[in-house]
Amino acid sequence: MTRQERAAWLFAAPVLGIIALVFVLPTLLAFGLSLTDYSIYALADWSNLRFVGLGNFADLLSTPLFWRALRNTALFAALGVPMAIGASLFTALLLHDATVRWKPVWRVALFAPYVTGVVATAVVWRYVLNTRFGLVNWALAQVGVAPVDWLGDPRWSIPAILLFVTWKVFGYNMIVFTAALAAVPGELMEAARLDGAGWWTRFRHVTLPAIGPTLLLAAVMSVAGFLQIFAEPYVMTLGGPSQSTTTVLYFMFEEGFKWWNLGQASAVAFVLFVLILALTLVQTRIGKRYEWL
Amino acid sequence: MGGAHSSLGTGPTRRTLLAGGAAALLAGCGRRDPNALSFWATGYEGDYAPYLLTAFERATGIPVDRQSLPGTAAHEKFLTAFAGGSLPDVLMLPSGWVAEFAMIGAIAPVPDAALTGDTFPGVVRPLTWAGVAHAVPWSVGSQVQFYRRDLLAEVGYDAPPGDWDGWRTLGARLKRRHPDRFAMLMFLNWWDTLVTFAGQAGAYPLKDQETRGNFRTAEYREALGFYASLFADGYAPGVSSNEVQDPLAAFAQGWFALYPSGPTLLTDLHRRTAEIAPDRWGTARMPGPNGPGRVSAVNNSLAVSAATKRPEEAWALVRHLSSAESELHYQRLIGVLPARRSAWASPQLADPVLRPFAEQMEVPARLPTIVEWERIRAEVQLVAERVVRGGLTIDEGLRAMDARVDALLAKRRALVAAGRIA
Repeated sequence: MTRQERAAWLFAAPVLGIIALVFVLPTLLAFGLSLTDYSIYALADWSNLRFVGLGNFADLLSTPLFWRALRNTALFAALGVPMAIGASLFTALLLHDATVRWKPVWRVALFAPYVTGVVATAVVWRYVLNTRFGLVNWALAQVGVAPVDWLGDPRWSIPAILLFVTWKVFGYNMIVFTAALAAVPGELMEAARLDGAGWWTRFRHVTLPAIGPTLLLAAVMSVAGFLQIFAEPYVMTLGGPSQSTTTVLYFMFEEGFKWWNLGQASAVAFVLFVLILALTLVQTRIGKRYEWL
Repeated sequence: MGGAHSSLGTGPTRRTLLAGGAAALLAGCGRRDPNALSFWATGYEGDYAPYLLTAFERATGIPVDRQSLPGTAAHEKFLTAFAGGSLPDVLMLPSGWVAEFAMIGAIAPVPDAALTGDTFPGVVRPLTWAGVAHAVPWSVGSQVQFYRRDLLAEVGYDAPPGDWDGWRTLGARLKRRHPDRFAMLMFLNWWDTLVTFAGQAGAYPLKDQETRGNFRTAEYREALGFYASLFADGYAPGVSSNEVQDPLAAFAQGWFALYPSGPTLLTDLHRRTAEIAPDRWGTARMPGPNGPGRVSAVNNSLAVSAATKRPEEAWALVRHLSSAESELHYQRLIGVLPARRSAWASPQLADPVLRPFAEQMEVPARLPTIVEWERIRAEVQLVAERVVRGGLTIDEGLRAMDARVDALLAKRRALVAAGRIA
């Protein structure tokens, strides 16, 4: 080890120590817990605790609700990530246009939902989505669409929550994209325009490569975020109707904190961890191929 | 998701640190007295506790720090508090949870038998663990039918029928008169009404020393069949509690005419007479297969933490809160019904709308008191919801209930087989 390397390690040590303490250690402990049948009986008397090996994982795979939760989460992520990023990018492009006035006002207004409390906004959205008196159904009725039971019909509950989540989170990535768009070289844009490139061609071949890394970051964060979706179904539907909005994290919360089956809940947490890690690796590979990293 | 986003995306910025610091400072300035007894309660009981506590504080000089918990999150909050060693000195527990908290050693046995006397039949049984009462009855209640007198009169009824066939007939008539409205409201994510129906039908949910589900019985099939038929025939809307923001307003507007609910609805009804005049509603006993019968109780009790450093003072607070005088005071304030039988001699409880409650309290249905019961009734209701929403037939539903409950009770079965629990 050279002197320089030693110095580098020395400077990195505090951060590495903290990571080991608040990330590596809890993850290992959670994995250890997931190999036991820790339940409320163990809380009563430690001698009721048994080592069950991979039994919790085998149990999970045979629990229909876990599969349902996985499917619901996959649906949330598959629909939600494009919706949220699409909305962010679209508004960022609109705000970037030179003809738009009052830009700071628009930015604040569109960013506001992101910094508003999730519970407060969810309560308001429950009114907006109310079947009988809600604003959304009123608007639909104006164009002759029959009322939709947004939060009470298992087929509509995920789209309804996604509508809310998209509105809630798109502001954050919008700001990030606005910053990235500002960094797109103006002379490149001008050159493309002079060469006769249309709106789409300029977007595809000038803007998109320039904001590629930002897009990748937004996608990684959004996928991780949507896979851990919890608060919105918890406040709006309590995982219902018919468990159609029970996500993996919601399932884990119920098992672990509501019913105190911490062994089982740790197994869920571990599965989710592996899942997010795997997806992130895939995303970074894609990013590397386009030289965004 | 927002939380995950902000913590991943921004990290602890200076602003959040400042805000956190300010919040910590404010909390420090708050009047949390280190000498105070702590008391946690849910719902109106928690919100209005200061009214009962002033008399106690004045008489004994012991300050009490009260926390109000949301009822839907109370179970996990109490468990987490116990695991973290931060249970309050005195806590209000729904009676069905007492055996669970006694088993994990969270609450202390009642030191004085007089505290649990003078109450209704069946009230102390769920509070008893290993032969000793671990909580003091505080309030009693059960579901009764709240009904709209004017809407029932429109279809020729003075009071709602007490039997299931009669209920369905009334439902059909109400529905025929107002096809866009409903006859009754029963939230699909709340277990109360199905548990009540099952008790009325004489079904007991568990068997084999409470280690297996007992849902594939004629009684349970009858109860679930009746419950599901009310939705299938359009008498009840298939809604969850989070979809109807203000059920009382919907009741006042006549969206439904029958509303099985507990005593706390009385408070709201007395408070919001501008929306619904007192002569437009009444109460009646819950319907049974052949007329009113045994109804499962929804009682609340008071317990003292096993880890309290001041047991004498904590029990003094329990004694104060559960005195007949305090219970009557609370009944006037928030409508909860006294668990002390002697309190019922008071003229304040002679109101005819309370009679169905009093009658039902005398004939309670028996419910399991095992640790898993809270979860079992929640998961059974999930299956019932799928039956109502059309995913399962009645028999598939009963089979799913048995399978799910057997899985939930696996650990208990192992412990019973090993002789570790009775």
